[in-house]
Amino acid sequence: MKTALSRFLHSQNASLLGVIVAGAVLLTIQSSGTFLSSNSVQTFFQFLAIPIVIGLAQMATLAVGQLNLAVGAIGGFSACFAAVLMADAGLPAWLGGLVAIVVGLLAGLLNGVLVVLTRINGFIVTLATMTILTGAQYALVGTRTIPASAWPELASIGSARPLGIPLIFWFAIIIAGLLAYFYRNALPARHMLASGGNELAATLTGISNGRSLITAHALSGLLCGVAAFLALASLPGANKSVGGDWMLSSFAAPIIGGVALTGGGVAVLGTVFAATIIRLVDSARAAFQLDPSWVNFVIGAVVLGTVALERVRATRRTPKSGRKATPPDAPPTAAVRAVVQGGTP
Amino acid sequence: MSAAARPQAQEQSAAKRFTRIISDNRVGLLIMITVLFVTIGSLKPMFYSTDFVIAPMLTNIAIFTVIGLAQMMALSVGQMNLAVGGMASAGALATGIVLQRFDAPLVVGIIAGVIAGSLLGALCGLLIARAGVNAFVVTFAMNFALLGLVPTVYSWASPDAAISVDTPGLAELGRQTLDQVCIGAMCGPKGVPVLLLISIVAMILIGALYSRMRVGREILLTGSNDQAALLSGIPVARRLITVHMISGALAALAGIMLGASTGSFTPAIGQDFMLQSFLGPILGGTLLTGGAVSVLGTMLGITLTVVIRQGLLIFQVGVEWLNILLGLILLIALSSDRIRTVVGQRNALRQTLAKPQPPGPGAPPSDAAAAQMESTR
Repeated sequence: MKTALSRFLHSQNASLLGVIVAGAVLLTIQSSGTFLSSNSVQTFFQFLAIPIVIGLAQMATLAVGQLNLAVGAIGGFSACFAAVLMADAGLPAWLGGLVAIVVGLLAGLLNGVLVVLTRINGFIVTLATMTILTGAQYALVGTRTIPASAWPELASIGSARPLGIPLIFWFAIIIAGLLAYFYRNALPARHMLASGGNELAATLTGISNGRSLITAHALSGLLCGVAAFLALASLPGANKSVGGDWMLSSFAAPIIGGVALTGGGVAVLGTVFAATIIRLVDSARAAFQLDPSWVNFVIGAVVLGTVALERVRATRRTPKSGRKATPPDAPPTAAVRAVVQGGTP
Repeated sequence: MSAAARPQAQEQSAAKRFTRIISDNRVGLLIMITVLFVTIGSLKPMFYSTDFVIAPMLTNIAIFTVIGLAQMMALSVGQMNLAVGGMASAGALATGIVLQRFDAPLVVGIIAGVIAGSLLGALCGLLIARAGVNAFVVTFAMNFALLGLVPTVYSWASPDAAISVDTPGLAELGRQTLDQVCIGAMCGPKGVPVLLLISIVAMILIGALYSRMRVGREILLTGSNDQAALLSGIPVARRLITVHMISGALAALAGIMLGASTGSFTPAIGQDFMLQSFLGPILGGTLLTGGAVSVLGTMLGITLTVVIRQGLLIFQVGVEWLNILLGLILLIALSSDRIRTVVGQRNALRQTLAKPQPPGPGAPPSDAAAAQMESTR
């Protein structure tokens, strides 16, 4: 079972890598080599760091079968909150970066607590917090743009280029590596995956689903805070539009990367690869001078294609079990359900 | 809470009926709307100006109610339509092109737009029901695709990426109020936009679908328990496609109404539809899990949000506070819903414990089963 799973993941990642290589080759040929120039490569990776981190933020909630519509709102709010503190209250830059990350974590924690306490669908809770935080972000900064000169230390992180590649991209890669290790080895991560895979089984094993949900949302918020930190470091300033276009792309990367929406699985490498593919599509769009809206169209088509293809693959592999209807309420399930309802009031 | 739980109400005493009415979402909404309307109006008499406040407010209510109904359709089977915005813009685009390119009469243009929306919805439904892909992903990806496609087609269709047409009847439909529409010497009331009539017709049709028609009942049963629906011979897959088709048609209709009210069809149509589409049904008592809908509640939920928006505008509070308030209202409404359910369950438990005999073998019929029984009566 485990080898089959890892083989499948491997093949998915292999095909994603193939697409990346093909796309890079195509762009190199089209631009007659300038795509590989150090300037172009730096720009490519500079704008890849944030998509990777927000894709991972979404993946953290998808792993428990939830979703986080507030990814962009949390990121934008944290960035603006920290920016206002640094510019107006004279907060030191290093502390401002920390504030951005901590605010993200707190917002995620709030999401998780609300989901568990009210037992409202996570979609609606994060829709509500997204609306609130977007409004709060606008109330904070209004129409002004706070220039990055208010936090020179952070901006120097954003312009650092060790080994010819932007430092913030190295950050994103390190975070992805840490997450991959976390999901493979850490106990809370395994608990989250268990809850996402089968809530009932997790409960009966003695895992608290509520705690898993809160951890997952907090982790997602933390990563949004990190994305806000990266935005502060790399963008020329913070205004109300920071985070505005994060939500849609945060879903695209994990879904194309092979994370199931039903929960129970993660694909860190797949998400990183998929974010790279989306970045390539954007580069191609710029190279062929097409309208920016084409990127959305291509991503939509790719997401739908990926999911449909995966579905076809899955039904072909198990031709019978896919269509079989289970009896609606067999006795053991009813008994188990009673246990669950008694266990988590 | 909805039409589904009516039969039990007849046996309840007056006191219980009173608590039922009080705990009804729709009554609560109506009280909140009235209080807000009176409070804002007594502080700022400007609020009662028919031309500047009431008529635009009713136009907004008309448009957002239709988009709320579009979302309610998807919610009734426990799914979501994240592409309501995209479908609205696509429907408006189709209407705009048909009116501009072919000089078609207004009705033909509207029908073309609605058909475009329903085809997009049917495509979503087909992918959900036949390919078995999660509704969230399908409608999400559809929204993405339309977000890219619609502006591109607009830029092909006209140089300034917006279609303005002067088809006879469009301006009358979109911007006139009923006092300008006269049959003989009879004129309509002042301050009521013509668009509201479309929205009322849509509400009556959807209400009739759910309460009077077999298809609507089958949809509710599918939403309540799809396994049970399948086992009782309901074509679940086909009902899912029906639901998404109607949802797409309604979304397109809302887009066309918005285009008619502003006088031009632009890619910006539908951009702020998603939050509104969820607010209306959820505040109105439509369950997220499916199986229960409230058409009137959807309208009242939308009305509440529109009154709040207009109130903030008239007090010249920034629009950003609207978002903060709407988000808070959504959370509070749902939390109070949760509290109500828990209290209701506790009361029901206490009653069954107090009664000497359980009501015979088997579990008591669920809401959907009761609704089914009622419809066959």
